Amino acid sequence: MNWCSRGIRNAFRNLTRTFSLIIILGLSIGLSLAMFISHQAVTQKINNVKGSVDNTISIFPAGLRGFAGGGTPLTQSQLKSVSALPHVVQLNETLSDRLTSSDTNLQSAVSAGFLGRRFAGNGFGGNVKFTPPVTVNGTTSPTDLAVSAATTGGGSFSLLSGTVFSGTSNSNVALVGTGLASKNNLKVGSTFTAYGSNISVVGIFSSGTRFGDNQVVMPLLTLQRLSGETGDVTAATAYVDSVTNLASVTNKIKAVLGSAADITNSQQQAQNAISSLQSIQTISLYSLIGAVVAGAIIILMTMVMIVRERRREIGVIKAIGSSNLRISGQFMAEAVTLTIAASVIGILIGAVAANPITNMLVSNSNSSNSSAAANPGGGVFRQRRFSGAFGGLHHSFANIHAVVGYGIIGYGLLAAIIIALIGSSVSSYFIAKIRPAEVMRVE
Amino acid sequence: MLKVTDLKRHFKSGDSIVAAVDGVSLKIPDGQFVSIIGQSGSGKTSLLSLLGALDKPTSGSIEVDNQDITRVSGRELNRYRAKTVGFVFQSYNLVPNLTALENVMLPMEFLGLPKKLRLERARQLLEEVGLSADQMHRKPGKLSGGQQQRVAIARALANKPKYILADEPTGNLDSETGKLIFNLLHDLSKKEKTTIITVTHDLKIAGKTDTSFKLKDGKLAKGTDR
Ligand SMILES: Nc1ncnc2c1ncn2[C@@H]1O[C@H](COP(=O)(O)OP(=O)(O)OP(=O)(O)O)[C@@H](O)[C@H]1O
Ligand SMILES: [Mg+2]
Repeated sequence: MNWCSRGIRNAFRNLTRTFSLIIILGLSIGLSLAMFISHQAVTQKINNVKGSVDNTISIFPAGLRGFAGGGTPLTQSQLKSVSALPHVVQLNETLSDRLTSSDTNLQSAVSAGFLGRRFAGNGFGGNVKFTPPVTVNGTTSPTDLAVSAATTGGGSFSLLSGTVFSGTSNSNVALVGTGLASKNNLKVGSTFTAYGSNISVVGIFSSGTRFGDNQVVMPLLTLQRLSGETGDVTAATAYVDSVTNLASVTNKIKAVLGSAADITNSQQQAQNAISSLQSIQTISLYSLIGAVVAGAIIILMTMVMIVRERRREIGVIKAIGSSNLRISGQFMAEAVTLTIAASVIGILIGAVAANPITNMLVSNSNSSNSSAAANPGGGVFRQRRFSGAFGGLHHSFANIHAVVGYGIIGYGLLAAIIIALIGSSVSSYFIAKIRPAEVMRVE
Repeated sequence: MLKVTDLKRHFKSGDSIVAAVDGVSLKIPDGQFVSIIGQSGSGKTSLLSLLGALDKPTSGSIEVDNQDITRVSGRELNRYRAKTVGFVFQSYNLVPNLTALENVMLPMEFLGLPKKLRLERARQLLEEVGLSADQMHRKPGKLSGGQQQRVAIARALANKPKYILADEPTGNLDSETGKLIFNLLHDLSKKEKTTIITVTHDLKIAGKTDTSFKLKDGKLAKGTDR
């Protein structure tokens, strides 16, 4: 029996009180833990969003989108100064063209149908013999279909067979969409003709859309050479290191390219996504601090109360020769024991509550966000972009998962013990103040 | 040898000052059995607190073998309380959550005695004061007043102190039990050569001690040497 084991034993001296204290303290520890975990989850999500989702700037020649509109193409030398800008981590460039039957032996995998015939030039129900041309994209980033989204609908690249050529290649190679490949019996190693040259197929890919699978993807330099449009680019996407630099980089690109280009970014949606996440982050941080403070106060008040209650006993122990330090140590052992017992309950509560709390916080903020997004945003184009972005947002929120790791539990336990020690160190002050002479007086 | 010189303890109580101990000087040779008597409020408990270093005097000195214990503090003070004196209180003052045995072991822990030794000595002391093996493992709440006071005496003796200070040790007991406790203290003083200073209201008891000091309004009224 020493000071430490006395402290541990004293923790269970009054079972009713011990039980209620452990429950109350356990709740506050559980809430702290849940808030800590949800704060972590949201913080990580914010970093993900900042790092990848919405940090792109779209650059088009002024007046041009895909095969609609008109104007002068941008040049690679113009864009060189864009990729040299600080915070621009990557610049993907594409040149898009259409191969008609006079340019290629390929046959489109998409039949014209009612909609296709509209584009044949004779209005609704026009040229019955019309077959849609095959889209060809020259690109510096063959796997990034988003850059050429204006001409091929984007989608996500997945290689079905073969290899992907290098973005800086200048040889007569191509990746062929799976629809186009099967229509023309192309496999890896087959060749086809375009612009009067033989092109060999190095890979077959799928993009997820029928239109996207009807395209040919070549190195940018190759297409520029074959089509005689050396140095030309019809779309580019700049990737910025963090969404926080998006606005400044956009302005710099505007300054560099001037009126030659239409430049847009996803700033607004990114900001919406992040600001609502940030408010959750703030809520969870404040709740975390609140719960930790509440826990600290609970253990502190309890220890002060216990010291007052055992005033006489403390006086007696002092009178028979104990140091204040030894008595304080005994009470700290008691506080730590109570806190560890409460932590066990708290960790259970935290582990169970972390996910529901995170989801609740996120879905609440999500619905408030949707009402903001529902405000009329201007033209049809804007509206569509908005709703598209919102769809993405929904997706990103749904992916937040609170993870309860052993590390977090360890930190939680450590924090609880530190709180207990701080809480009971206040009681040490009261212990030191007790005069042993008091025990001589009969109560 | 215990030498008290012009010892004063004044309490501030509102605007007035209470002179609980007001210039006491006395000498007690080692191995004596001494009683302190006096009316209620005469300062007996206050004097005993000062002798046991539970309280600091306003002025004056208490010399134990030529060391002034009113000037010690910290570790030395704790050691004095644990080693040199043993207290027996009127209201027993055992630690409620510890068994009789653990209560007796407690002061030995403060001196750093190994556990085995503590247990051995505590058991032996409790046997000496007449506790059964079963009673030793009970908490104070399950012992009678007389049994609790025996435990308290065993605890006071644990570190073989030079002085036992007892404040009305029989005050809460019936006269029969009181006599038993008193005889226990008396025998111990003779056997272990312990100096015993006890406050008592019982003049019959006071009459049996080697020396009796009478306090009146914080001052020594008369010393009776025998
Ligand atoms: N902490 C204190 N503050 C103020 N006055 C005190 C304090 N302690 C004791 N006194 C006063 O000092 C005087 C002596 O008290 P003390 O307890 O020493 O008397 P006593 O002789 O032990 O009395 P009793 O026989 O009733 O136990 C009393 O008048 C008491 O009111
Ligand atoms: Mg008294």
